[in-house]
Amino acid sequence: MGRRAMGQWSLVAVIALGLMARPALGADEIVLGSAISQTGKYAREGKFYVDAYTLTVDAINKAGGVKVGGKPYKLALKLYDDQSDPNLSVRLFTRLVTSDKVNFLLGPYSSGITIPASAVSEKYEVPMVQGGGASGKIFDRGYKYIFGTLPKAEFYFQAAIEAAAKFTPRVQTAALLYSNEAFDRSVADGARQWLKEQKIDKVYDEEYQPSTQDFTSVLAVLKSKSPDLVLVAGHEENALNFIRQAQAADMAPKMMVFTVGPPTADFRKTLGKAAEYVFGITPWLPDMDVGGEIFKSARDFAKQFQERFGYEADYHVASGAADVLVYKAAIEKAQSLDAKKVREALAAVDVETLYGRVKFEPTGQIAMGQVLVQVQEGKLVPVYAFGKMLAKPAYPAPKWSMRK
Amino acid sequence: MLALQVLINGILLGGLYGLMALGMSLIWGVMNIVNIAHGALIMLGAYVTFWLFTLWGWDPFVSLPATIALLFVYGYCLQRFLLNLIVRAQLFLTLLITFGVEVVMVNLVRIFWSSDLRQVTPTYAGANFAVGAITIPYVRLWVFVTTAILSVLFLLVLEKTRLGRAIRATSEELRAARLTGIPVAHIYAVTFGLGAALAGAAGGLWGMLFPITPIMGGALTLKSFVVAVLGGLGTMMGAIVGGLVLGLAESFTATYLGPTYPNAISFGLLVLILILRPTGIVGRRA
Amino acid sequence: MRLPSRRVPTVAGALVVAALALAPWGLSPFLVQFLINLFMLAALAESWNIIGGFTGYASFGNVAFFGIGAYTTAVLLTAAAWPFALALPAGGLLAMAFAGLIGMPILRLKGHYFAIATLGVAETMREIVYNLKITGGGTGLTMPITRSPLPFFYLMLAILVAATLVNWWLSASRFGYGLIAIREDEDAAMAMGINTALYKTAAFALSGAFAGLVGGVFAYWITFIDPEGVFRVIVTIQMIIMAVFGGMGTVVGPLLGALVLASVSELLSTQLVSLAELFNGLIVILVVLFMPKGLAEVISKREFSLKKLARNLREYGV
Repeated sequence: MGRRAMGQWSLVAVIALGLMARPALGADEIVLGSAISQTGKYAREGKFYVDAYTLTVDAINKAGGVKVGGKPYKLALKLYDDQSDPNLSVRLFTRLVTSDKVNFLLGPYSSGITIPASAVSEKYEVPMVQGGGASGKIFDRGYKYIFGTLPKAEFYFQAAIEAAAKFTPRVQTAALLYSNEAFDRSVADGARQWLKEQKIDKVYDEEYQPSTQDFTSVLAVLKSKSPDLVLVAGHEENALNFIRQAQAADMAPKMMVFTVGPPTADFRKTLGKAAEYVFGITPWLPDMDVGGEIFKSARDFAKQFQERFGYEADYHVASGAADVLVYKAAIEKAQSLDAKKVREALAAVDVETLYGRVKFEPTGQIAMGQVLVQVQEGKLVPVYAFGKMLAKPAYPAPKWSMRK
Repeated sequence: MLALQVLINGILLGGLYGLMALGMSLIWGVMNIVNIAHGALIMLGAYVTFWLFTLWGWDPFVSLPATIALLFVYGYCLQRFLLNLIVRAQLFLTLLITFGVEVVMVNLVRIFWSSDLRQVTPTYAGANFAVGAITIPYVRLWVFVTTAILSVLFLLVLEKTRLGRAIRATSEELRAARLTGIPVAHIYAVTFGLGAALAGAAGGLWGMLFPITPIMGGALTLKSFVVAVLGGLGTMMGAIVGGLVLGLAESFTATYLGPTYPNAISFGLLVLILILRPTGIVGRRA
Repeated sequence: MRLPSRRVPTVAGALVVAALALAPWGLSPFLVQFLINLFMLAALAESWNIIGGFTGYASFGNVAFFGIGAYTTAVLLTAAAWPFALALPAGGLLAMAFAGLIGMPILRLKGHYFAIATLGVAETMREIVYNLKITGGGTGLTMPITRSPLPFFYLMLAILVAATLVNWWLSASRFGYGLIAIREDEDAAMAMGINTALYKTAAFALSGAFAGLVGGVFAYWITFIDPEGVFRVIVTIQMIIMAVFGGMGTVVGPLLGALVLASVSELLSTQLVSLAELFNGLIVILVVLFMPKGLAEVISKREFSLKKLARNLREYGV
């Protein structure tokens, strides 16, 4: 064998050895592991979770860590990049459990990745608490080890549709546009039910692909049907495109609601004035009257987050923080690091946090209400929640040409 | 009147598709390089326009020449110092290397400029005017006009100038071109530079209509393929015709079949055209 | 099918397979997962080698067959409640049939046109799957959970061995020589009396069959599939780059390529987290520039000098 070839094979051997190397775990440490999207199409949202986990872990450690059997344990994070790829996510989670031997798992972002990733946690019987997937499909497989802090997708539009029926003039017709993904389809299924309940006529009901950038044809059809209410389920990029193009096509329904977008500062900054009158949905706002042991109030959390990372926290961030906090509560309740005991504790947990009250249903998903918010004069105003009008809505939205 | 609105929409967007594919068609036709990084060049053009707008307030239409120049230089260097090294290798090796270039470009952009959504929003962004029941957004109209101007300019350069003749000569007969003293390496680099410049211009215009992200290029590369093949590879008129055809096809399918069908239709069209008439709508039979 | 009788490689090969078969008992669960993924990539590279390496038709759409296998198996498992033992071969068969059918018109194209057409086929397949109800559309399909990785380990290994054996048979059979003749000079091959259309289509169908089988096992292994996750261009690129790196048209080339590149990629994705993708791209560029003929040739010819490199560039460059 030539010298060069031997060199190449040595390289292979070194790589193989490198793969088998395992990091030594700190003695009094509880390691939370996760593969999260730091690159790829979910990179933006993935960053919310990385930052949320980091801030919360540091805050808990500063406050004395997690106490088990009288001993204080420090929390540590082990994070990988799943490159927004479900296949890689599965292998990385398997690595976290089998090779890195982390104590517990935090979830990835998006229902599409959480569904296969949670199969790993179920297979190896290690709890996973995730705050990035809301689709019912995550929780309807009878799995015992998956928990989620985002409320059920089917209920996303409930508050919006209830409120629409209470506005004056009452909303009579609605259009439903949703992305062809697990989460958005669940949202749409729920929406159809709420529309029927509120006796609002559905004049348009179509699916679109998440990669769609051009809604001009959809808008042309909507313009010809003139619905009072337009409901759009999709990701932030879809919402941005839709609103800009609605402006360009001069389509202004009385009320427009999006599943993702308005609560995120980046969205409002990018759209500027065009974001006015738009409704959004969030289970959390920074000035909500909620708080917990580590972060005394939502406002306090939001301030710390902004100071450390330089951008405004939204409900993704709060949800991620809650995931770490709920582990602290469950571990201290179980007074053990045993996976099964902690799972039991998670299933029974009931704790107040900066995100609100965290308590999981038997399926593992949190039961939490959503707040209908609206962008009014650049600010996010909570308009309707839990059956009550919280503020006057800017309704109906005027035609684009009439806006200031 | 829905049909008329759909028609107008299709034409306006189709023009931009044509401009996008023009660069790809040029590079493919002259150097037989299928540039998988084409979408990444479009993306780069969009980012340049964005930064010029955000940092120094340059109006996106006004900054277009700057974007074109910058992308030309970038494309020239890419070809001269990297792609020229393997340009006569097996076809699919060039495909592979441009794929590698695409991955590197996208990830460098992601590392330095993050994956945040960007948008170019001049004050006239949402403005539109009505002609009867048809609404026409100003930006789309001006984008269409700009693509028309750029396409004509480019065609003139290719047909009438000495450079254009040198490019065409090199594509038709490499050895003969060499014999007549044409500096092939340089001409190839200029060609790629031109292709990149066109892609960059398309990117700048695209950025006025849609959000800008590091990964926006992938889908645009595929669209450019479809357009280039539809019209006829290597023919410039073909790219423009193909663009309009695709724009109209997408517009009508999205409206009358449903928003999830346009992609299936475009790729299906691609395969059909390749099987039935590989030289495309405008191309001559080889 | 008579396999070429070369004693040393046969014995060595059998030993390696035996060692791998015993591996799950000695290695950590993580390495078992890594090996399953490695077998999958190597099998895909070997399957691509049939049409790309031996026949010289560089297909950029083989992930279409992978996806058809995956979805067929998944739909039969979930909607029709077939046992996996029947659903998997059905997936492979359907992928093979599809490859044969689409191959007939598409293999008439050459070079770039063929490459783009195959890419178009893969993209169209993804869009079709998106729009069908039975495949779950964008929502995807969930498979029943299997706690042990062993069935997948052995299945993938078996498919890999089968694909490698087919490649081995090709390297010394009349059919294989026919394919090589098509690759070197198709017109001459036709003049020699080879039914090129039949040979090409058969090679394409074989390639598709293996990709489909791999896809079927993959679907069950990963428990959840959706169009975006299955019909990915990067999968085809991985197949190609592994075959090229290892040496396309050889029998062990794709295996070597898969071993080295999968290991490097795995190492990168854990140690250099967010730079992993960037390095993957750089590797592709470097491989094309410096070793387009592949690792197998580099090793067998024992040459990797700068002089050889310069010669390569002069041959390919301008």
